[in-house]
Amino acid sequence: MGLLTELRSSISRATSSLFAGSEPKRIGIYGPPNAGKTTLANRIARDWTGDAVGPESHVPHETRRARRKENVEIKRNGKSVTIDVVDTPGVTTKVDYKEFLEHDIEEDDAVRRSREATEGVAEAMHWLREDVDGVIYVLDSTEDPFTQVNTMLVGIIESQDLPVLIFANKIDLEEASVQRVSNAFPQHETVPLSALEGDNMDEVYDTIAEHFG
Amino acid sequence: MPHQCTGCGERFEDGSKEMLSGCPECGGNKFQFRPQGADVPEGPEEPKPTSEPLEPEPADDPQESSVAETVGRATTRVRDFVSGGDEPDPNAAWPDESDAAGNASDDGEIIDADARREAGTDTDTDAAEDAAQVNARSGLAAPEDVPDPDDATDASDEPPAAGGDPADASDGPPAADDDRVVSEPSDEDPDLAELREQLNDQFESIKIVEPGQYELNLMELYDREEYIIALQENGRYVIQVPDQWIGADVDDR
Repeated sequence: MGLLTELRSSISRATSSLFAGSEPKRIGIYGPPNAGKTTLANRIARDWTGDAVGPESHVPHETRRARRKENVEIKRNGKSVTIDVVDTPGVTTKVDYKEFLEHDIEEDDAVRRSREATEGVAEAMHWLREDVDGVIYVLDSTEDPFTQVNTMLVGIIESQDLPVLIFANKIDLEEASVQRVSNAFPQHETVPLSALEGDNMDEVYDTIAEHFG
Repeated sequence: MPHQCTGCGERFEDGSKEMLSGCPECGGNKFQFRPQGADVPEGPEEPKPTSEPLEPEPADDPQESSVAETVGRATTRVRDFVSGGDEPDPNAAWPDESDAAGNASDDGEIIDADARREAGTDTDTDAAEDAAQVNARSGLAAPEDVPDPDDATDASDEPPAAGGDPADASDGPPAADDDRVVSEPSDEDPDLAELREQLNDQFESIKIVEPGQYELNLMELYDREEYIIALQENGRYVIQVPDQWIGADVDDR
């Protein structure tokens, strides 16, 4: 019986690799909480499909389940690139319900959110292991990029040999420093943008098409 | 070649793990630190260096119970006493003496040596034993000096200062003794590194500090094949396991 199972899974692996070329690449949008991942995912999805991916919020861990927008066709310079955009929960090493209390959320709800956010991180890490073909790593460029989470995640992504782009988000804010972000990860291309304001989105799409096409 | 067994003269490299469970040659658990370039005698340790600060001692029996050994055993015993281990395990390394003498007289012998050190040339066994025991009981409370019961075999590898210090607090010489006998801090590094590694391994992928507070081990979450899809209130996980894990069962049904 075990043999059958193995056979079945190896056939399905072979089949999927056979058609891999024609399937849209699955691009995971990763980053710490509140970096603007969902805002970016929504911006991309709205720009190219007209739909949104999920609700955006100032409350960290608003996205507690990975959400996918499939078949987002990005047209650049006469060519088109089709990707599946996966918006993932913000990755962190600590989740504390007290964080939510500051946002006028009741304690019960905060504890539940905290649990869901933790599940979300587990899910994001799991997706990173198996289900993405490329990564857009989103950072809030007003924040210090030298964090344990960023270093670890980018390290994991590199170890997987996944193509990665660093997006320095929130450049519409005064304290933003794109230079600080690109200094933190000089080995990767850093693209400045404001997903909220739609600043520099042309370069964003150019780079996505170039890297993930 | 920084360590040498004081019993048989067997040498060990710095950081060697062999000596953690006692000398493989003679079972001894006392080692002398030999810095690079130091003059190293081939055979077992002469009592001279360690007895230096303890001039009155060697009258005893230099070849069988060098001061270093005796103090080491006293240290081990006092530690076991403090850590609540009554079992005579530590004596096992010294069958030649402990077996014949039995626990009670063994105690007497060891404490005797310790006490004589403290009391200078005092050779009155009973009185000395009392003094040493009082010192040991009152002075050994420092938590960092108390080894885990599990680590009893490793205890002797730690600085003799651990057991000896409090008892020795009143007299100067043993401090010099510490410098010479297996008390180099570097000696502990392998232990600590190992311990840290163990702890890291034990750190689960999601640690529930309290309801609503979680600490996540990202590497562990990333590394594991199964995937935690839900956390229960009671601290249990609901996981999704890879197909291969349950494949056979499913097919059997």
